[in-house]
Amino acid sequence: MPFEFTLFLAMVGVFAVCAFAVKLPVSLSMLAAALTGLLVSGNGLGIRHLVEGTFGYVDTILVIATAMIFMRAVQESGALDALNVVIIKRFRTVPALLLPMLMLVAMFPGMITGSSSASVLTAGAVVAPVLMILGLPAAEAGAFIALAGILGMIAPPVNIPAMIIGGGIDMPFVGFEVPLLLLTMPLAVIFSLTIGLKHVKKLSWEALAPKLDTETYERYGIRLFAPILVVAALMVLGKVVPKYFGMGLPVVFLIGAALALFVGKRFNPLLAAKSAVADALPVLGILAGVGMFIQVMTLTGVRGFVVVSALSVPPIMLYAAIAITIPLFGAVSSFGASSVLGVPFLLALLGKNQIVTAAALSLIASLGDFMPPTALSAIFAAQVVGVEKYSRVLRHLVIPSIVILAWALVFIAYSKQIAAMY
Amino acid sequence: MKILYLGIAAAILALTAWNLWTEKDWRKQATAAMVAIPLLLRVLLIK
Amino acid sequence: MQKNHISAAIISILTLAACAVAGASFLEHRKVEPIVRGPGVTEVVKLSAWYAGLAGTPADTDVYVFRGQNPGGSMLVIGGTHPNEPSSFLSAVLLIENASAESGTLYVIPRANASGFTHNDPQEGAPLAYSFTLPDGSKRTFRYGSRATNPVHQWPDTDVYVHAASGQTLSGNETRNLNRGYPGRTDGTLTEKACYGITEMIRAEKIDLSIDLHEASPEYPVINAIVAHERAMPIASQVVLGLEFSDITIGLEPSPKNLRGLTHRELGDATDTLAVLMETANPSQGRLRSRTDEALVLTGKDPYYVKAQKLGRLYVPFDEKGHPIEERVGRHLTAIGEFAFAMSGEYPDRPIELSGVPGYDDLGAKGLGAFLRTAD
Repeated sequence: MPFEFTLFLAMVGVFAVCAFAVKLPVSLSMLAAALTGLLVSGNGLGIRHLVEGTFGYVDTILVIATAMIFMRAVQESGALDALNVVIIKRFRTVPALLLPMLMLVAMFPGMITGSSSASVLTAGAVVAPVLMILGLPAAEAGAFIALAGILGMIAPPVNIPAMIIGGGIDMPFVGFEVPLLLLTMPLAVIFSLTIGLKHVKKLSWEALAPKLDTETYERYGIRLFAPILVVAALMVLGKVVPKYFGMGLPVVFLIGAALALFVGKRFNPLLAAKSAVADALPVLGILAGVGMFIQVMTLTGVRGFVVVSALSVPPIMLYAAIAITIPLFGAVSSFGASSVLGVPFLLALLGKNQIVTAAALSLIASLGDFMPPTALSAIFAAQVVGVEKYSRVLRHLVIPSIVILAWALVFIAYSKQIAAMY
Repeated sequence: MKILYLGIAAAILALTAWNLWTEKDWRKQATAAMVAIPLLLRVLLIK
Repeated sequence: MQKNHISAAIISILTLAACAVAGASFLEHRKVEPIVRGPGVTEVVKLSAWYAGLAGTPADTDVYVFRGQNPGGSMLVIGGTHPNEPSSFLSAVLLIENASAESGTLYVIPRANASGFTHNDPQEGAPLAYSFTLPDGSKRTFRYGSRATNPVHQWPDTDVYVHAASGQTLSGNETRNLNRGYPGRTDGTLTEKACYGITEMIRAEKIDLSIDLHEASPEYPVINAIVAHERAMPIASQVVLGLEFSDITIGLEPSPKNLRGLTHRELGDATDTLAVLMETANPSQGRLRSRTDEALVLTGKDPYYVKAQKLGRLYVPFDEKGHPIEERVGRHLTAIGEFAFAMSGEYPDRPIELSGVPGYDDLGAKGLGAFLRTAD
């Protein structure tokens, strides 16, 4: 048994004990696992390595933090409530359209931030009560927004797992929009209908209206949506004419957040920013922890062990290995799984269309957010809908997860044909 | 652009530190500290 | 004091202590190691002599000039484009400390991306430095750097890097990659300015041949190879044959026309120089490597690469002997000698004759430390 395997077991073991038995947050459990790796491998405390590892995500931390501030500002201004009113009013009689619309709203923050937690905690928190008003039981509503979280995270324009996987083979994050849309949008529609349709009651507007915040929209009207539209426009311009609008997402989000101060309900920007960052901290902490964990894995040779082991799998077993190991490792973090396993699997899949394959691998990696013990997306969703045990939400995610896996594997198997379609 | 981003990093760092000091649970405080580390060293132009 | 303020204070102090410990090592990384002038160096000039915009920036760097006794052609060796590829930097150092030009002029830049030497890439677990023991028992230590410019000097990266001259897009982190920024520009990033300085130097000095030294991870397809601009192909083919006589197998690849910003494409297009790039095999920058430490950098021995070779995943032979630094530097230096020889044959009116360049077999037998001079 190679020493790296022992080390890997020690690190994962310490992580599991800290996360399950001691009930430490994932961030601290990662830190403990990384420290264990350093000590057992004879690297001492390795403070330099722990600190250096976090820098892999310093830009991502800024993106997520500013995105959360923007989403909080939009929420406080009343724009999200108003958006729901508009959607329900217009589409309540056609639930087959309404449910996918709500799914899209819930996905939006994940699409622009690349973080499932950002989706669940912001737009998910607004959509979930609406779903329950429409008749969904709490656990199903939780599953709905948890799925929206990971599909939003994978949907374009921002998909961090795909960026991580592509970065590992010097592939720019360019040309991913269409395959990512093909991967996520059909699933978004299907899941919204299969989870929601059987529960949705057709209600009259008079019955629904008292349960919704209709006042904000009546008072401020369409201008409430200005920050969302400006942010969307700046993001598009940043892609189309990067020379003039390549200011980066953090600046775009802060412009949107500042605008939200003036278009709707008044709120205290400092307190809103503080609580937005507080909501983001568990995720940001996990990023910092994953950075430390990966640095120590690389330093000690555990990363090489994992990569070479994954590459040693016979070709017939390759798909099975992808389907099992990536989500399992995703329990540590979906970003970590993308970096540690996504890259070598992409290398092992040479001969496939690289963009479609990387996109599909990123979708598989996103399932890590459902994987206990961390199960970020599911835990946050349970919190949002007020379900005590997140396993109740998780139960409704098992079948969708299998569907996601199968769908992604189909994309890998037929990557060339799919790439030829667009 | 660098100055602007250093400003953003400093602002997020300040909000993180504020949360660290108002948070009741030490585990959440420690998580905030982990996030503060790269922000602080970047703002100081050390790393 | 409230209970949560006590824990906050403790955590804050621990955090600041960790920042101080790590910060000290990050700052230490900026100290420039000495390179000792050998007998052949006639001048040391800053790159900013050719492009004043670099003066006082972290991208300004030393250019070592070797003017030969006899007139002839000129050759530039670019080391340290990627400071995590040590054979590139060390080949330049050994030239500076040992070589002389008999005919023509040799220019050597050991730290083309000077900023990249001041930090390590996150999540790579790289050693800060590596050392050699000299015959007199003294030690020489060199920094192991990053592939890219230090973000402290250039930040943030744009989401997508647009190569200015062609409009080609690459992932944002390539913004700080010196070998994606050529021919460079004056109103661009620090990295692009460094590229511009090197391009300007080649133009002003009418350098006949430019060699950019690199290393690649063993699982990367372009390895143990010369990549040559189309105008440099005839010379490069002669070098491949010449190396075969020394039992050094090397591949020859044409510079892709559609991959922009790299030396072998842009320096050849933007100037009259013959542009080539050379790669050796460096497991310490690869994804499949085992424990990352100074020993791996120097010996190039790695059990997981041996395993990966057996699985058919590599583009370079890899056995238990690894790819020691002496072999990698020896390949580069021997090829540089062959290039000088081939140039002199092809352009007899502009000969480049070098002496004192450590040989491949000598390096293997005596070790690299034997060719370093004692630093004060």
